[in-house]
Amino acid sequence: MDTLNRQKVGRAGSASLPARRILFALAAVFLLGANLLRAAENIPPKPAGYFNDYAGVVSKEAALRFNEQLAQFERETSNQVLVAVFRKMESDSSIDDFTRRVAQAWGVGQKDRKNGAVLFVFVDDRKMFIQVGYGLEGVLPDATAFDITERNIKPNFKQNDYEGGLATGIDLICKAIRGEYTGSGKTQLEEKGRSGSGSGLLIFIICVVILLFALRKRRRGYGYTGMGGPFIGGWSSGGGTWSSGSSGGGFSGFSGGGGSFGGGGAGSSW
Amino acid sequence: MKKFGIGCGAVVIILLVIVVIAGFAVAGSYNRLVKLDQNVNEKWAQVQNVYQRRADLIPNLVSTVSGAANFEKSTLIAVTQARASVGQVKLDPNKAPTDAAQLEQFQQAQGQLSNALSRLLLVSERYPELRANQNFLSLQAQLEGTENRISVERGNFNEAVKDYNTAVRSFPTALFAGMFGFSPRPFFNAQPGADKAPEVKFDFNQAPAASPAGTP
Repeated sequence: MDTLNRQKVGRAGSASLPARRILFALAAVFLLGANLLRAAENIPPKPAGYFNDYAGVVSKEAALRFNEQLAQFERETSNQVLVAVFRKMESDSSIDDFTRRVAQAWGVGQKDRKNGAVLFVFVDDRKMFIQVGYGLEGVLPDATAFDITERNIKPNFKQNDYEGGLATGIDLICKAIRGEYTGSGKTQLEEKGRSGSGSGLLIFIICVVILLFALRKRRRGYGYTGMGGPFIGGWSSGGGTWSSGSSGGGFSGFSGGGGSFGGGGAGSSW
Repeated sequence: MKKFGIGCGAVVIILLVIVVIAGFAVAGSYNRLVKLDQNVNEKWAQVQNVYQRRADLIPNLVSTVSGAANFEKSTLIAVTQARASVGQVKLDPNKAPTDAAQLEQFQQAQGQLSNALSRLLLVSERYPELRANQNFLSLQAQLEGTENRISVERGNFNEAVKDYNTAVRSFPTALFAGMFGFSPRPFFNAQPGADKAPEVKFDFNQAPAASPAGTP
């Protein structure tokens, strides 16, 4: 009886040490993870387009129309204006602080000009804020931003007319900042798409050079010249498909230019 | 000398090479310190900028508010006085302060202005004619904007000072940083009692009550 118990304890004792360590490790990971889950703030991921209605308050056609309007605005003026409509603000901080960090994380506006502006709307919180980048603070000062939200968007929102309010807001923001900078005729995403195929071309040329070197050596030995043919054909088609990837389906996508935000802007609640 | 297998000349050359490499390393560190120092000065200029912006809004605010009937005079006087004392603390806008006491003085003066302003805005809530005044509302929005900008630029400045201080104090840069005139710089810190909301005493016809330190 005694020896049996001792055996049992012995077995359990020898097995529990690594098991205990694993348990500790798991507990630590779980607690760490739980801590992260309890984080009070959630910075939304980078948006796919210029007009982003995460709350579903405008119709699909209007959303597409606004998106194209803002994309075209970037092509003409290089200013990146975004609209992001959420249900709730997931942060314990104030709206001006939180939206600035979000806009900064998204990198709205060209890096050198810092000409980004984002209209944030939190439908359930009934708050909105226009966050203005450094480069646009001259043409869209706080007083103007406040005027736009308080006297032009707010009346529409009070009547639950989100589409009308957003249309007015977009028009007025664009009107205020047009003329400050000139655009290149392409959005950031379109420019990146083009340069993507450019780098593809470079890779293709390097491959051709490498292949030619390889071929040269072989020719001496085997008199073999036709080997590179199918390879070259494959690579050039690879380079060609790159450029067509960006503009598909008529939806102009957004890509942040890396602009920064200094805390300018204003907002209202309704 | 031949006993050691290398001649005197070789030793001299090796020493020279070591000295040259060390020289390049020092030059590299020095250049990095200069760049970080410039960054701190740049961020300081930005801080001065946004504080100045706030100071520029005050006269307009005071004149708008004093137009409201029977507005509590003591609050307005406090704001005007705080604005004047801010103007008296003069720091070089192009060079970040190296003296912690100087920065503290600057911060205190600005902090007083912040307190006076937040009290003014709090008091103005009781005047419906002000809350309907478009000019006042616009000024309020601008003030909130400047407060936001101030906290952003102070954050950027502290970040720059942190990078600079880390470089100046790490080994081996610390050995010769003092020689070249680079010393650690002071930060903006939270005002003592910043966690307490400003106390608002509605005293009519009386001198403004002394208030505990509030938001920076």
